Amino acid sequence: MKTHLDSSTPVSREFTNVPLVRCAGLARTFGRGSSAVVALHHATCEIEAGQLVALVGPSGSGKSTLLHLLAGLDSPTAGTLEWPALADAPLRPGPVAVVFQAPSLLAPLDVLENVALPLLLAGAERAPANEAALAALRALGLDTIATKLPDELSGGQAQRVAIARALAGSPRLILADEPTGQLDHDTAAAVVDALIAAAERSGAALVIATHDHDIATRFTTRWRVADGRLYTNGPGR
Amino acid sequence: MITLGWIRGQIRRRAGRVAATATGVAVAVALLASLGAFLAHSKSTMTQRSVANVPVDWQVETTPTGTGSQLLHDVRAYPGVQTALPVEFGQVTSLSATTGGTQQTTGSGFVLGIPDNYRTTFPAVIRTLIGPQHGVLVAQQTAANLHVAPGDTITIGRAGLTAVKIKAASVVDLPSADALFQTVGAPPGTTAQAPPDTVLLVPAAEWHRIFDPLAKVRPDLVKTQIHTRIDHTLPTDPSAAYSQVLGRANNLDAALAGTGKVGNNLAATLASARADALYAQVLFLFLGLPGTVLAGLLTATVAAAGRDRRRREQALLRTRGATTTQLVRLALAETVLVGAIGAVIGLGAASIIGSSAFGSASFGTSTASAIGWAAAAALGGFVVAAAAIAGPAWIDARGVTVSAARRHVDRSRAPRWTRYGLDLWLFGLGALIFWLTSRGGYKLVLAPEGVPAISVNYWAFAGPALMWIGGGLLAWRIAELALHHGRSALRAVTRPLAGPLSDTVAASMQRQRRLLARGVALVALTATFAASTAIFNSTYRQQALVDAVLTNGADVTVAQAPGAATGPELAQTLAAVHGVAHVEPVQHRYAYVGSDLQDLFGLNPTTVVGAAKLQNAYFQGGTAKQLMQTLAQHPDNLIVSAETVKDYQLHPGDQVILRLQDATTKRYVPVKFHYVGVGKEFPTAPRDSFLLANRDYIAAQTHSNAVGIFLINTGGHSPAPIADTLRRQLGAGVTVTDLTHTRHIIASSLTAVDLAGLTRVELGFALALAAAATGLVLWLGFAERRRTFAIVHALGARPRQLGAFVWSEASYVLVVGLVLGVIGGGLLSQALVKILTGVFDPPPDALAVPWAYLLIATGVGVVAVVVAASLAVREADKPQLSVLRDV
Repeated sequence: MKTHLDSSTPVSREFTNVPLVRCAGLARTFGRGSSAVVALHHATCEIEAGQLVALVGPSGSGKSTLLHLLAGLDSPTAGTLEWPALADAPLRPGPVAVVFQAPSLLAPLDVLENVALPLLLAGAERAPANEAALAALRALGLDTIATKLPDELSGGQAQRVAIARALAGSPRLILADEPTGQLDHDTAAAVVDALIAAAERSGAALVIATHDHDIATRFTTRWRVADGRLYTNGPGR
Repeated sequence: MITLGWIRGQIRRRAGRVAATATGVAVAVALLASLGAFLAHSKSTMTQRSVANVPVDWQVETTPTGTGSQLLHDVRAYPGVQTALPVEFGQVTSLSATTGGTQQTTGSGFVLGIPDNYRTTFPAVIRTLIGPQHGVLVAQQTAANLHVAPGDTITIGRAGLTAVKIKAASVVDLPSADALFQTVGAPPGTTAQAPPDTVLLVPAAEWHRIFDPLAKVRPDLVKTQIHTRIDHTLPTDPSAAYSQVLGRANNLDAALAGTGKVGNNLAATLASARADALYAQVLFLFLGLPGTVLAGLLTATVAAAGRDRRRREQALLRTRGATTTQLVRLALAETVLVGAIGAVIGLGAASIIGSSAFGSASFGTSTASAIGWAAAAALGGFVVAAAAIAGPAWIDARGVTVSAARRHVDRSRAPRWTRYGLDLWLFGLGALIFWLTSRGGYKLVLAPEGVPAISVNYWAFAGPALMWIGGGLLAWRIAELALHHGRSALRAVTRPLAGPLSDTVAASMQRQRRLLARGVALVALTATFAASTAIFNSTYRQQALVDAVLTNGADVTVAQAPGAATGPELAQTLAAVHGVAHVEPVQHRYAYVGSDLQDLFGLNPTTVVGAAKLQNAYFQGGTAKQLMQTLAQHPDNLIVSAETVKDYQLHPGDQVILRLQDATTKRYVPVKFHYVGVGKEFPTAPRDSFLLANRDYIAAQTHSNAVGIFLINTGGHSPAPIADTLRRQLGAGVTVTDLTHTRHIIASSLTAVDLAGLTRVELGFALALAAAATGLVLWLGFAERRRTFAIVHALGARPRQLGAFVWSEASYVLVVGLVLGVIGGGLLSQALVKILTGVFDPPPDALAVPWAYLLIATGVGVVAVVVAASLAVREADKPQLSVLRDV
């Protein structure tokens, strides 16, 4: 099945019709033999630059598995997966950024160091990396907590710092795995606002996994994942 | 139910953590139990080994009110006496002999009458040098003084009676002359008298022929001793055996009702053995306990590596309503699980170690002792497990809030002990106690002769113990301070490894400084333990060798028979024997200092230092080399024993006139010397009285270059086969002894302690602890932070970049820990050797550093770190998706 993009999706002109990631018949099975668990069945999808996608479905349905595959953090057991517009450069750190569900800041590093880390991993020198990290924090109104340690932050602050870290490298594809799962409603809304605003500002595609209906409705494209199957134009839309 | 479920969960889901903690407990249990086995085994064999070497157990002597025959009857009838033989003592006015046209006469002496079966019953009392086993036996020094050989006639002077002539059959050595001629019944602590120089041993019938007439006119000049062997079924503990033997001898004394008094050689030997037993106990404390404490610390560290996870688990349980009691109960259940597994494995390991190191798989000689030691070791394991798991969990459950429990990096103030300078206080206090206890006159083990009670100065243990603990904490402080204030230096150091990430790596290390400082302290303590144990053991071995050399003289020693006129030319023949590297001829003569006959050694001062392996400790007021240089400055220079200097009030430069025997006239002639230095020991010489002079000067003055002893250096070849070759080649009349044999029979203070076994166990454990302190602890630390590494990997870090974090931390812990540990090890070794100085005879000039072992231990630590870090990097480079979801 070929996925067709929703015509109402706001996309950057520069990247129109250039798929960032394309998958066909994608599957992921954990374990072997009788204990094998199929987490994802023959998923087919295509994501273009500037596209905002909400991946909805109940817990354990396969949303995170799909996101991890799209981020290149995991390898599929069947099907094809390609990133046509992302050239041959490494996906991470680089054009793909991931925001995790659980707190993912490094405890021994302060906020600025956490945000600058992907840039340093990409080979940037310290000074420009710090400048870019500070700019990312400033964009999210977090520059005042740049010297704080992760343990000194609230859950919402920590998640917004994680978003700043994801955005600091100017990614073209942002994959967020239930980034609001552990936050209260208002904080969750603020985090999603920040993600959408950042994606719109940079023209990056944003894929967010969530089981929160209110959040999903804010995305123009909504795909549903149920029992390991991806419905891109079916009942979930 | 929840407890059982928790335990099941621990075994299934946290098997690695349980196994690692149980391993730490097992090491502590195995070390305790092995050392217990060592102590039990040493004590059990000490009595046996000590009493086996006693030539005569009791010497029961007649008093003026008793008779020999009655005394013999009474002693034989006493319970526990296995054999009793009468030995007669007759005092003579002089002995004289005419040989080579000259007559030699000695001063007063003793003629002993021994029954026919004496030598087979008490074989260690008399050793034949030349001649048959029976007949008239002439003591070696007496033969030398009289210039008699087998077949020569000796005239015995009797007070108030005519002299009697007898024919010498053999020349013999009396190895236990001190005991044989002891003053029986002298109060304990009385200074021992030197045995007489003039001694003959004759068959009992001959003795009665000569001395029965004397007994009638001068009964005060004759006496009878009953030499006795008693039943050696004694308690295994030397202290208990000593008390028993002392009690039995006292009982016999009382039963004899004044007709005889008991000279208790067995008790004297056991008195020394009980001091050995105490030393064994002290060694257990000094060398063993730090290892056990270290194993406990390691276990605590291993358990602490899971403390963050445990805290988070506790926090989760508390948010779901678990009470403090329930949380503590779960921690106790984990403690019991880990303690039980560790105890079983540890006792099994100790059993194997015991059988391979001491030849005993049990922890004692009796069932009660075995159960006691096994239970004590297991209990120790449970204490370690409780301190590592239940204690911290209890503190966390009571005092840590949920949010605090989930914190990873603590910015709170430094630990209270650092603010109060506990490390410095402990180190200073330890140094003070060390200074106080090791000042002059200090005795670690006090075992007064004749007193059943013995004591150990346990205060001495507090010195190094406090210094060790204080040093460990100081290492923590230094490592923490260096990380806190040395970020820029750290950045510069890690730059080659981490590149642009160096500042991030430095920041990460700075904020985890307490974790890293703990690792450094642990490595430092382990290195200190390994280094101090190895250096102490090595120094002990070195001094045991020095002691053996001192007794034997050299690797191989060839001693000429008394009166032999062999010159230094024999050295060439000896040097031709395969394996002989150097032969040093040393003249051995006797010289009168006033009326005192002393051993005189004629040396070549330029070659003797190396050839005889002379130690600085042998001399007073300078090194061996310096004293030999002084001796060489003038031909008539003389080095004198400390006791002689004191007795004769000598001052450097004083003229000393010795009387030496002239080879041509056979008369003792005065020879002038000048006193230039003090000797405390010299190979083959008696400790209290000897003289060292220039060989050529003595040869010129006595008209003889006869050499008494050839000291042979085998240059690293095994001495025993060379000694065998020399024995075959030189035939009878020459005594050839070798170092290997001497080391087995030497009577140093710790002969009865199997220190070799203890050394093997301790050095083995030190290696295991070194591996655990470095590799295991680092790996567990990394494993516990696998989520951090999973995040860094998910952010796109390459293996090299992940490695920058891992290798920087590992290198810091290893390098800083080793440097501080080596410094600590050096200091502690000095302290241990000083405190345990009673173990060493003679005291060492310098510590013996076993470089090979220390390099191996360092290598083990480095390999363990490399393996741990490589595993951590490899593990971190794998996708850890489940870990990323973990809260």
